[in-house]
Amino acid sequence: MGSQTTHLPRIIAVLALLGVAIFPIYWMFVTSLTPSSELFAASPNLFPRFEQLGIYLEVFRTIPVATWLWNSFVVAAGTTVLSIVLAILPAYALSRFRFAGIAILGFALFATQMLPEAMLVVPLYAIFGQLSLLNSLFGLILANTAFVVPVITWIIKGAIDSIPLEVEEAARVDGCSRIDIVLAIVIPLITPTLAAAAVIAFFHGWNEYVFAQTLISSEALRTASVGLASFVGELSTPIHSVMTVGVIYTLPAVVFYLFAQRYVVAGMTAGSVKG
Amino acid sequence: MSSIRFKNVSKTFGQKEVIRDIDIAVDDGEFLVLLGPSGCGKSTLLRMLAGLETISGGEINIADKRVDHLPPGQRDMAFVFQSYALYPHLSVRRNMTFPLLMQQFRWWYHLPFIGRWAKSRIENAPDVVAKVDKTARILALTEMLDRFPRTLSGGQRQRVALGRAMVRNPQVFLMDEPLSNLDAKLRTSMRAEITRLHKEIGGTFVYVTHDQVEAMTMGTRIALMRDGIIQQFGTAREIYTDPANTYVARFIGTPPMNLVEAKLDGKGVEIGATHIKLPATFPAAAHGDVLFGIRPNALGLSREPGLASLPGTVVMVEHIGAESVIAVRLDGARTAHESDESMDAVMVTVPGYAEFTVGETVFLTPDAAQGVLFSAKTGERLRP
Repeated sequence: MGSQTTHLPRIIAVLALLGVAIFPIYWMFVTSLTPSSELFAASPNLFPRFEQLGIYLEVFRTIPVATWLWNSFVVAAGTTVLSIVLAILPAYALSRFRFAGIAILGFALFATQMLPEAMLVVPLYAIFGQLSLLNSLFGLILANTAFVVPVITWIIKGAIDSIPLEVEEAARVDGCSRIDIVLAIVIPLITPTLAAAAVIAFFHGWNEYVFAQTLISSEALRTASVGLASFVGELSTPIHSVMTVGVIYTLPAVVFYLFAQRYVVAGMTAGSVKG
Repeated sequence: MSSIRFKNVSKTFGQKEVIRDIDIAVDDGEFLVLLGPSGCGKSTLLRMLAGLETISGGEINIADKRVDHLPPGQRDMAFVFQSYALYPHLSVRRNMTFPLLMQQFRWWYHLPFIGRWAKSRIENAPDVVAKVDKTARILALTEMLDRFPRTLSGGQRQRVALGRAMVRNPQVFLMDEPLSNLDAKLRTSMRAEITRLHKEIGGTFVYVTHDQVEAMTMGTRIALMRDGIIQQFGTAREIYTDPANTYVARFIGTPPMNLVEAKLDGKGVEIGATHIKLPATFPAAAHGDVLFGIRPNALGLSREPGLASLPGTVVMVEHIGAESVIAVRLDGARTAHESDESMDAVMVTVPGYAEFTVGETVFLTPDAAQGVLFSAKTGERLRP
């Protein structure tokens, strides 16, 4: 390990994977800057035509993209905060307590993941109708949170498992109650995992489509995922507008990921300390 | 005052009884060592004292006040863990400040910003800083106060763990094998360090170890445990010279006490064909099969037969430097050593380099005054 020759294949492999991952986004960007008349030309346009950048301003002027993005952000951020707050305590209990039914509870959390959203959306619609949660971003946050909490509970439980029990016992001897331990010892030690969980929750809220389409009917509360899909018409789909909004829709998510990723990586070294 | 009293304390995990009827008391300022092999319940007993485990029966008093129903934080004890259990996300200073912070903690300190402000106000209070600085000076940690546990060596982490225990100035210090993760040299110096701390800062220490050297050198009193039962409770000297049963005799000492099968009569013991006169007479009820216990250093070794000497063959010679350990298989007599998987031979220690070779015939002369007798059936000590 370490010599230039062994690094080379790895570098090539990484570049290839990067290309696969980045090319669709690049293509989306290029397409958004290609005038409609040239979209179906025999020789595709491989490079962005920056003189077309005005389309982005035009999209913001003619389509309520800003509102959609804001709604998506509210839903994604709300889902992130609510699901992490709700997941930490059950994760701690699953990790540290032995009680009757713990195996069933653990399995039940997994079982929720086996049910497709499309199947649940009808009963959920009926329930939300009775609770006056239809057409409300908060309702949408609740629905998304219900799907995210089981997943990140398991992720957070794994991180809590790796904290030596003695550290918590030391805190108990030092005068901490259980809740003090969770807030003052456990949470700071699992920050990297919480950041990873936040990424999962945020993207779930940001990308979610089925609930957003069904539970929200008001134009003003439409999220970007639904807004984007609304371009798809029966007769024609304005591909280059779709791509433009697509790029705008992708960027905040990427920014959030870069922000969270710093914590994920920074935490890895801090977490590797043994008690 | 912080005397500790266990009154008939027991502990069961499910059906398994891991601590049985422990009933001991130590005075304020003592250094109690709980000694025993792994799985004997010594750590469990310590954790029960700390409040990290519940007790199934009996009661625990500290300074004549019952504490077994109190949560760990209210027992005014500090605990030093084998793995140190430092808080990895806090600097050395904040690790040591943590117990002091918790003493004044309010729930709203968990809130962001305002809680952080309140916590730093306590952490920077002059008396708190003074206590931490003083403790750091005693433990030579002053240079490391701003470092994180992950950057410290094992010995330094151990001192931070001790410091975190000391700042609170607790009534009782509990230590669970605190030295077993250190290398041999560091262990010796930390052993002296802990003994010095005990003398300097006072307080009652309870120390768990499986290492008899630690127990003998550090403890003012030792409770030797096996299978959840205290085999003997006494000073190091009592346990060494006056073992209560064969288990204690074989646990303490390197090599441990020799146990030779013998027959007790009115005047002494018969080992093989040799009769050894004992200074004391034993009650007639004890006459018959016994085990004669003798420390390896209370046996004379020579090539010539003497009065009341036991013939045997050298089966092993080990030179340790200051002394030599020689294993001798007796002619016409057996030892009871196979019960703990040791070889059936009497161990003798001789000062310096002893020039004996394997296969040689030798004669052992026990110092009868240092011999002790145990019942062959129960292993319990027989007394005159």
